[in-house]
Amino acid sequence: MSQKNITELDIKGKLCPMTFVYTKLALEKLKSGDTLNITLDYPPAVENIPENCKRQGLAKILDIKQLKDDIWSISLEKI
Amino acid sequence: MSKDSIKMELNNNQIERYSRQIVLKEIGGIGQKRLLKSKITIIGLGGLGSTTAYYLAGAGIGNLKIIDFDYVDLSNIHRQILHFTKDINKKKTESAFEKLTSLNPDCNIEKIDGKIVPKNIESIIKNSDFVIDGSDNFSTKMLINDACVKLKIPFTIAGALRYHGQIITVVPKKKTTCYRCVFGNITEEASGMSCSQAGVIGVIPGIMGSIEAFEAIKYLLDFGELLTNKILFVDLLTNQYNYINVFRDVECLTCGDNSNINLMDSGSEINDKC
Ligand SMILES: [Zn+2]
Repeated sequence: MSQKNITELDIKGKLCPMTFVYTKLALEKLKSGDTLNITLDYPPAVENIPENCKRQGLAKILDIKQLKDDIWSISLEKI
Repeated sequence: MSKDSIKMELNNNQIERYSRQIVLKEIGGIGQKRLLKSKITIIGLGGLGSTTAYYLAGAGIGNLKIIDFDYVDLSNIHRQILHFTKDINKKKTESAFEKLTSLNPDCNIEKIDGKIVPKNIESIIKNSDFVIDGSDNFSTKMLINDACVKLKIPFTIAGALRYHGQIITVVPKKKTTCYRCVFGNITEEASGMSCSQAGVIGVIPGIMGSIEAFEAIKYLLDFGELLTNKILFVDLLTNQYNYINVFRDVECLTCGDNSNINLMDSGSEINDKC
C-alpha cells in the first residue's frame, strides 16, 4: 500500500506554455495516484493545462474551481 | 547518461530555455535532464558539423567534444553556420567554441584541434554516448565507423554534395548495418566526393546535419525511430526523399561475425569539409 501525497503548486503570474511546463515538471516528481493542486491566474491555462495533461496521458482531472475573479485551482491525479 | 540525471534539478532559467522541449510528450523534464548529462563527440566543424553542433548545443546537450584541424576560409561561410566573416583564418574549433558557448552556457565544450586518425580516435570518442560524423571524405567516415563499432558507441554518418545528401545511423550494440557493410567497396577516387570541385548548396549540409542532431537526441532519449538498417537519400533539386533498406553483411570486415577491427587499416586523410 503506497501513501497518496498531496502537493501544492502556485503558478500565479505564469503564462502559457509555462503554466503547463511547470505542471508537467511537478507531476514528474510525483508517484502514480498522488494529487497535484495548482493555483493559477492565467485564464487560458484553465483549459490548456487539463487538455495537455489528457493528451500526454500525464494526469486525470479531479476538479477545476474558480476561487476568485481571477484565481483558479486545478486538481490533478498523476497517472 | 547516468541514473543520477533524474536527481538534478532544472533551474528557472533552464526551465524557460528548454520549455519548448519540455512541453514535448517524449522529452519532458526527465528527458531534458538526461540531455544535460549527455556527452556527444562531433568530428568535423564544416557544413554538417556546424549545424549539428548548433542544434545539439541549443537542445542542451551538456557535454560536446568538437574536433577539427582546419581554419575558417571565406569559401566555407555560405554553409558552415558557426563561422562568420570575421572568423576567416581562425581555427574552426575556436570559432565554433565562441559561438556555442555564447549560444548556450549550459553546454560544456571541449575542443580538440587536430586531425582524427587511427592513433587518437579511440581515446577521443571512448566516453561518448553518441558520435556525429561531420567529415567530408570516405576514409574518415570509415575510420569513425570502425572505431565506433569497435567501442560499441552509436553514431550517425552523413554526406552532402551539390544538392544531395545521405545519412545512416548505426547502433553497434544492436548489430545494425554499418557504414562499411554498405560502402565497403567504394574507394575515395570512385566516390568523387569533394565539395570544392563538385560544389554544394548551403542548405544541404544544413538539412543533413539537422537530421544527424535529431538522430542523436532520439537515441539518447530512446524515442521515435532511428535511421538504422536504412539510408535516407535526399535530392533537393527534385524534392525526392528516398529510403533504401540496407542489410548487415555477415562478412563485413568491421561488424561481420568474424571481424577483427584494426583501425590502422581504416585510413584517415581529411580533405576540405563539406
Ligand atoms: Zn558492417
